[in-house]
Amino acid sequence: MTVSLEAHGKLPIFEAILAADLPAHEPHPPRSPIHVSHLVLDVRLPTFVSQLTISPPTMSRLAQSRAAPAAARPGDQDGELLQHSLSQLRFTDAQPEPDICPVCKSSRYLNKSMQFLVNPECYHKMCESCVDRIFSHGPNKCPIAGCNRTLRKHRFRKQTFEDIAVEREVDIRKRVAAIFNRREDEFEDLMDYNNYLNDVEDITFNLVNRIDVEENEKKLAAYAEQNSKSISANASLASQETQDYSALQAAEREQARLRRDTARREEEEERRARAEGRQDIINRLASGTASAEQIAQESRVTLKKRMDKKAAAERQRQLHAAAAAKDATNGSSGFLIKGLKTKKEVGPEKPFDAFGGLSFAKHDYCVLQDHYEWDWLNEVRGDVQIVAGGYDVQEFHQRALCDAFAGLGVFVGEEAAARDEAAMGPGAVKAAATAGAAGACTGAKDIKMEDPF
Amino acid sequence: MAVSNGLPSSEPPLVNQAEQLDQQERQKYVKGKKLGSGQYADVFSAHLVSDPSKLVAIKKIKVGPEVAEWGISHDSLREIKFLQELSHPNIIRLHSVFSTKSQNLNLVLEHLPQGDLLKLIQDVENIHYGPSDIKAWMAMLSRAVWFCHENFVLHRDIKPNNLLIAANGEIKLADFGLARSFADPYAHMTYNTITKWYRPPELYYQASFYSGAVDVWSVGCVFAELVQRKVFLPAMPDTDINMIGIISSTIGTPTEDNWPGVSKLRGYVPVEKKDVTPVKRKDQWEAEFRAVGPVGADLLMKMFALDPRKRLTARQILEHEWWTTDPKPSRLEDLPRKGGGLETMGEDLKRRGGELPSLGRGDKVARKLDFSTMK
Repeated sequence: MTVSLEAHGKLPIFEAILAADLPAHEPHPPRSPIHVSHLVLDVRLPTFVSQLTISPPTMSRLAQSRAAPAAARPGDQDGELLQHSLSQLRFTDAQPEPDICPVCKSSRYLNKSMQFLVNPECYHKMCESCVDRIFSHGPNKCPIAGCNRTLRKHRFRKQTFEDIAVEREVDIRKRVAAIFNRREDEFEDLMDYNNYLNDVEDITFNLVNRIDVEENEKKLAAYAEQNSKSISANASLASQETQDYSALQAAEREQARLRRDTARREEEEERRARAEGRQDIINRLASGTASAEQIAQESRVTLKKRMDKKAAAERQRQLHAAAAAKDATNGSSGFLIKGLKTKKEVGPEKPFDAFGGLSFAKHDYCVLQDHYEWDWLNEVRGDVQIVAGGYDVQEFHQRALCDAFAGLGVFVGEEAAARDEAAMGPGAVKAAATAGAAGACTGAKDIKMEDPF
Repeated sequence: MAVSNGLPSSEPPLVNQAEQLDQQERQKYVKGKKLGSGQYADVFSAHLVSDPSKLVAIKKIKVGPEVAEWGISHDSLREIKFLQELSHPNIIRLHSVFSTKSQNLNLVLEHLPQGDLLKLIQDVENIHYGPSDIKAWMAMLSRAVWFCHENFVLHRDIKPNNLLIAANGEIKLADFGLARSFADPYAHMTYNTITKWYRPPELYYQASFYSGAVDVWSVGCVFAELVQRKVFLPAMPDTDINMIGIISSTIGTPTEDNWPGVSKLRGYVPVEKKDVTPVKRKDQWEAEFRAVGPVGADLLMKMFALDPRKRLTARQILEHEWWTTDPKPSRLEDLPRKGGGLETMGEDLKRRGGELPSLGRGDKVARKLDFSTMK
């Protein structure tokens, strides 16, 4: 024991502690070979226990049947060794887990700041100084007997969960979830989404329980490769969602402002270029260095260049859109997702409809004439007083026809019933039945009244 | 009138039913804070009893001198008459009308928490907008005016503070207190209408027969104001003769050449030959309104045609190529807004009383209406 401490230069401290008259209890029981083996093995103990008892709640429908025999299979990697040692150790393992590095055997008692690290490659625990010592000069074999995996220093990290099996499962789930990150709204219906989730859970479960690891890893990699675009798209969507709502809004406002700024800058640039060009032309015309024809030709050329630049930018945009559209298809990777919606690219916006989708051009029951044989009407056209103010008798024709015919084919009772069925807002009592009928009601009724306005 | 539930009927058997209906309608709403108060009406915030999240604005019209003679004020009569028929996304919705005990009329209007366009135009420091924003706003305004005209309604008071902004950024044409339907032949209309700075020359020349062209002029004024961020034709003081002066100097002097028959109008003021300003040329318009490009300037110029017959109609405005040329109109959510989104609405209302300023009468540009000349 003393020798091993000496080897790590811990002796002076140890002696100092011993020299000080400490309370009589012994911090470390005398070490026997059994205890040493226990120290090596006790990190694995929870793994084994959890494999037998903890995992089933996370098991998927399909995986459950497959997994049951596998978990119980003896000799599966560490299983045999553990089972063997468990029977031995149950009795001695009553005290709490001592903070002793299984590699260098130094204890927390001697080094208060000692930290244990694990590597997700094999999840063997060792202290920070061991990691520094062994892996500083590049990848090396895991020092735990029988492991032989090659570890790299940058992958070592602190353990989050006390149970190393949980730690490992969480890591695997994280990794799988980052790749299979389809969202519910990407599926046609809930059933398809659930099936997809089930398939993903099968893969996860197999990886966690080391069933056909290679095959599952292959699936995972193939899927990740073929769906890289949509994976990153979904990832960014998710990160956006976690952002604070107000921050999101602020960002949107900022975006809008930037767009406006860019537009303004472009416009200014354009204007400046134009002004410069014009000044240049004037100068050259004044100095007589070139003929007017020549200059006109040149200015046409520059204009064409500007247009070409714009066209190139437009082409670039279209290429981008095409690439995005290609990615939207569901690639086959041995992992076929059914019921995935074919993603519609947001595509070019609809052309702007100035009228907002409304039209009054169609009359069902009448045809508007330019001229009606009625002197009373036609005299209006000759009256300068009336015409010069902008009064248009044609508008009167239109209104009179609308007043006469707009109500035809409108059944207020039916429309009211339909409206009640649709149950619009309870306050919308006076909503116009139809836009077309509006004209019919507004003017016609009070023609005979003295109009005070 | 179809607002039987808003007005007590004179026939005895109906009284009860009308009052019942009125009561029913009144009880649908819970009146809240007063948002603003004017000489002509008070505006309250309110919500539905059945759904407290559905907000409305209740405009309670005060009993004025006209009521004694007519039983109802002209403005509210016009407003109810037209708003109950016009249903368009860019026109303010009138949900309901009811009266309270003192014969006060209450108009239940759409709740528009984002202020009006004038506030955006005037806040030069904080609000920045570009050509595509102007295009989006103008498109919404033009649609509203076109919809009114297609339904034979003249608005006759289009100006930035009558253009309210909905929570989603949409523009809503409001205040139909001066609206009327298109006139029959030979029927006189008042020329004393439309806020001065937005009033077209034919009204200054006292034309009694006019058409939708008067609204188009106002739309042009709003357009120019949006671009320049100042009133396009501000005459100080705003007398008729000053206004004719500023129109002449800014756009051109109306003459028989550019407006046949103008000299026959009742209020025409002859101008000496040497004082005639020629009509502004296209390149001048383009130079002055660079921001909207040559196509936009062309549209603006055609809205400001002196002769109302040559002015674009509301339909022709929407058919103009400016809407389809670059830049595209902004999407609603990209439009700059003053309120700062829905979540600050409550704050906003508290801070600035009267978020529906144009519903009251304390407008900055006073409407000096005088009905004494009309019989």
